[in-house]
Amino acid sequence: MVPMRRILAGVGVMCATALFAGAAGAAETVNITEAGFSPNQLGMPTNAFGSATITSTTGPVPSPISHVNVYGPAGVTLDLNGTGVCTEEALRQRGPQACPANSRAGFGGGQGIYQLGKELVEEKYTLDFFLSDNRPGHTKLLIFLSGSTPVLVEIVLKGTVITGPKPYGLGFSVDVPPIKVLPEASNASAKTAFLTLGARNVAYFRRVHGKRKLFHVKGIVLPKSCPRSGWPVASQFTFEDGSTVMAKRTIRCPRK
Amino acid sequence: MTGARTGAAPRTCALLALSCCCAAAPAASARAASARIHPALAPAAPGVRTAFTFAYSLQDTEAGVPPPLRSVVVHLPLGLGLDLGGAATCARARVRRSGPSGCPQRSVIGRGHAVLEVHAGSQSIPEEAVVWAIRVPDRGGHSALAIFGRGETPLVQQATSLATVLPDRPPYGSMLSVSVPAIPTVVYEPDASVISFSMTLGGPRAHAGGVTLPRRCPAGGLPFAAGFTFADQTRALAAAHLPCPRRG
Repeated sequence: MVPMRRILAGVGVMCATALFAGAAGAAETVNITEAGFSPNQLGMPTNAFGSATITSTTGPVPSPISHVNVYGPAGVTLDLNGTGVCTEEALRQRGPQACPANSRAGFGGGQGIYQLGKELVEEKYTLDFFLSDNRPGHTKLLIFLSGSTPVLVEIVLKGTVITGPKPYGLGFSVDVPPIKVLPEASNASAKTAFLTLGARNVAYFRRVHGKRKLFHVKGIVLPKSCPRSGWPVASQFTFEDGSTVMAKRTIRCPRK
Repeated sequence: MTGARTGAAPRTCALLALSCCCAAAPAASARAASARIHPALAPAAPGVRTAFTFAYSLQDTEAGVPPPLRSVVVHLPLGLGLDLGGAATCARARVRRSGPSGCPQRSVIGRGHAVLEVHAGSQSIPEEAVVWAIRVPDRGGHSALAIFGRGETPLVQQATSLATVLPDRPPYGSMLSVSVPAIPTVVYEPDASVISFSMTLGGPRAHAGGVTLPRRCPAGGLPFAAGFTFADQTRALAAAHLPCPRRG
């Protein structure tokens, strides 16, 4: 892997906000371009996805994100039977290859931006989500954020699965440290982000009593019912400039 | 790879020998994606029924993973007989729904494997699949096959390609035109790409269908070629020759 891993800024978490954010606040504006579940079927394992653009009303570079809480709809459950876990140390030292396949939780990416002197530098980044604890009620995530051009950036973020206030349910919370791509550059921000978590058809082989057995992983499971107004989702994120934005959105109920 | 699928040791040796002799030639295309083909015949003697293994590998030195595949055209040498007459047919819808388990045993005329890959996040994630060739009703008066593939991990996924046997121009006798469907992964990530593929048709263990070697062989050996078209509309070509089978 790459020998040097730098701490990059809130870019990673922006992607998480991408899932459900839909509002603007302070100097930062978040425009959710898409959010949903695939398949969108009651009571079924699903893939949760979303994408967003982030802009600032005061300048070309949005403030870096320092913290994000993402809330899914009430009634969503996690069934992590059959999954594995990855350790933070392994991920930091050897990158995503160090993590077992069955610890993968999702992917993402987007476009980051930082200021270098008077120049604005944009950089694509990717996100790899892994489970670091798969026990019910204690679920934790590791997020590997990486970019390669023009500057190599690799950072591991830590997330915790949380329960949001009503009318929300399970979500996750991530602290984002300042990310300095170069010593003389501004902390990195995100312009765009996308995220895709879980899948409906995940399976892994495990040895049970010496025999290789295929385990189907349910992962994110949608509620068995949907409120008339749809599934409420939200994202609360805090920027480095001290502002906080609570963005809300509704995902339409599945067709009967 | 091709040798490993023949089973019996003597045949494996013969097939390996042929495979080694054939010069798989990657052909240039507009982009970095390139292809290599690996045909093999075992046993190899003029006019005999044989097991024909056709394998290919695709790579993209720039992107790491080649673009998703959309079609393959395989050119077979003049005189190489692809006999599907003894095979039962299975409805295409049935193949799509159930694969070989939903079809008559005598409609399954080949078997092999494939490796697919998707670049998601910062990783290239592989998936192995088992593939079957199943005789389906003719298309437009031409013999047709469904190539059904099933992978189990990390995603349980299946896909069915449709292949039609068509006449070809010398030095080839027939071609297999295969349309490959998109193989979705997860939202926002690309469809799966084929990295390698190997299929064996005919042979003594086949329930139906057969491949017969030509009685005559051109001086340069038996010519094979394949053209690959990717989802981004780029193409890759590859060619190979097998040495002429020896008599007796």
